Amino acid sequence: MTTLSGIKRDLLIGSVLTTLAIALPFLTGTRYVVTQTTLFFIWAIVVTQWNLVLGIGGIFSLAQMALFAVGAYATAMLGYYFHMPMVPAMLLAALATVLVSVLIGLACLRLRGPYVALLTLAVAQVLFLLITNDTDCFSNPESGCMPLFGGVRGFTRFGDLGFRAILKSKFYIGHYYVGLFLLVLATAFAIAIIRGPAGLAFQALRDNPGYAVSRGISKFKYQLWLFGLSAFFTGLAGAFYAVNFAAVGPIVFSISVLLFLLSMIVVGGIGTVWGPLLGAALLMLVDEAMREAGDWRDIGLGLILAGFVVLLPRGLAGLRLPSFRDRSFRR
Amino acid sequence: MDVWVQIFASGLTLGAMYAVSAIGLALVYGSLNMLNMSHGALMALGGYICFYAMTQLGLPALVGVAAAMVICGAVGLAIYLAAAQPMLRSVNFETQIFIATIGIGAILENVILRTFGPQPQPQSLNLTGAQIIGNVHIPNQNILILVVAIGLMVGLSLLLQRSRLGRAIRATAQNREAAQLMGVRVGVVYAQVLALSGGLAAISGIMVSSLSGLLPNMGGDPMLKAFIICVVAGLGNVYGTVGTAIVLGLLEAGAQYVLGVRYSFALLLLLVIVVLIWRPYGLFGRRQVVRL
Repeated sequence: MTTLSGIKRDLLIGSVLTTLAIALPFLTGTRYVVTQTTLFFIWAIVVTQWNLVLGIGGIFSLAQMALFAVGAYATAMLGYYFHMPMVPAMLLAALATVLVSVLIGLACLRLRGPYVALLTLAVAQVLFLLITNDTDCFSNPESGCMPLFGGVRGFTRFGDLGFRAILKSKFYIGHYYVGLFLLVLATAFAIAIIRGPAGLAFQALRDNPGYAVSRGISKFKYQLWLFGLSAFFTGLAGAFYAVNFAAVGPIVFSISVLLFLLSMIVVGGIGTVWGPLLGAALLMLVDEAMREAGDWRDIGLGLILAGFVVLLPRGLAGLRLPSFRDRSFRR
Repeated sequence: MDVWVQIFASGLTLGAMYAVSAIGLALVYGSLNMLNMSHGALMALGGYICFYAMTQLGLPALVGVAAAMVICGAVGLAIYLAAAQPMLRSVNFETQIFIATIGIGAILENVILRTFGPQPQPQSLNLTGAQIIGNVHIPNQNILILVVAIGLMVGLSLLLQRSRLGRAIRATAQNREAAQLMGVRVGVVYAQVLALSGGLAAISGIMVSSLSGLLPNMGGDPMLKAFIICVVAGLGNVYGTVGTAIVLGLLEAGAQYVLGVRYSFALLLLLVIVVLIWRPYGLFGRRQVVRL
């Protein structure tokens, strides 16, 4: 086990998980399981990219859900206003997200850790307020006044991926595989970053910042690259979320969702390769168990988040036996 | 002319209100390097306790305020003991405590939601009537807020400059190790600072709710604004924070009048980003020399 190099082990784990995931719809006929797993894919994409930003790049960004929302809203608006087919709309939306994230990055990344967290949170909140407080009618369909960004209601009926026509009532299985495909891409990207030159650069900046900087590694440049590139998949996840649920609303900005996703990373282990995925799977299950509890859900999430940070700051992935621990990510 | 006097008056009230909650945050950051994300929930808690004491228990307003301060102070202390103290020594303290307090804030907010329900309530500590100067209409409640805020700031400044506790807080903020070597019990100072900040959160929660009503999540936006004020002033700088709060309050009132309420927060943010690009450590923050 210990003789396997990091990248080989990642490929092994990745291919086993992918095979299992491909088989799942054939093993269970329950629609609920398949759709919930699709939702898990979406959150897992966001979480792997957020983990890159937070755990590898050391950028304390709280704008990830805002970037996700940019992807989702851009897809919906391209479909709604320009009747664009969904696949190019999703790609365009992901590129738009990259653009927005580079702008946010240029404004925020010159600052130190906590300043970044506050500013990115404020950016997200301002976007939310601008969307929900907008009551001017941009267009007037039969369903009533429609603000430019959908206002409190958001967008519905802006197109789909066409699975409904091909697979009829089984269309959700099509969405399942699209979600899986995107997650595999996003995870491969994350592994390439972590194991590749960028990962080395960030590790150097962490281990010996003085030496790293004197060897010409610019923290700002690498952080901006990482922030921009990871936004592509975050935006794509948002775009897929919009298509999958055929609806987008300001709910994607809610603190509750932010809390849920942040908990996934913290529970799984910040800065590890597989920790965030593990955390995402676990928290989806815990959330399922707490569904009956209603109001208690957020209290439970808060307890999990605070409890893990205080008692187990390295997350579940940090619990492995010392010989299995990946040396390159010991912090 | 009257319009500008009106804007000046409401901006001053806003600024004073922001200052009270921002000082609490600045004190905590200055001494512990801790960004307390549960401050907003503490503000809501303070507002609700005052409301509950006055309407359900029929207590006088001052007792309600005192009760809110004591309970929020105790919760602040509990946050220190449960979350901050166990990981003070860890490497990523700033990041970890930030995440932990987000969790604690969510817990508090939902406890409030379960106890008092999701309906908005009016704050019972609310003066009626107004002073009319010429054509300008200034509600008594705004004057009360301004007077209380000024009183608090004077009191706090005396506490920081003149008292033993204040000296200990300032010493710890300047240099934790040196303070410790001089016999300051740093742990006790931290606990006191968090309790004090909880008490300040209660007062600012009562102030905010007296103008906008009580809601379990009412603390979110004021807290974010208070944080922005702290960031512009330079995190941890208490006096700079007060000045910045007043200036940003005036600016916000002006922006609300000129551009409409919708864009005031966005404009505030834009301004902050510009300031930070110009001065990354805030207006009054000293450039830190980072030793590698």
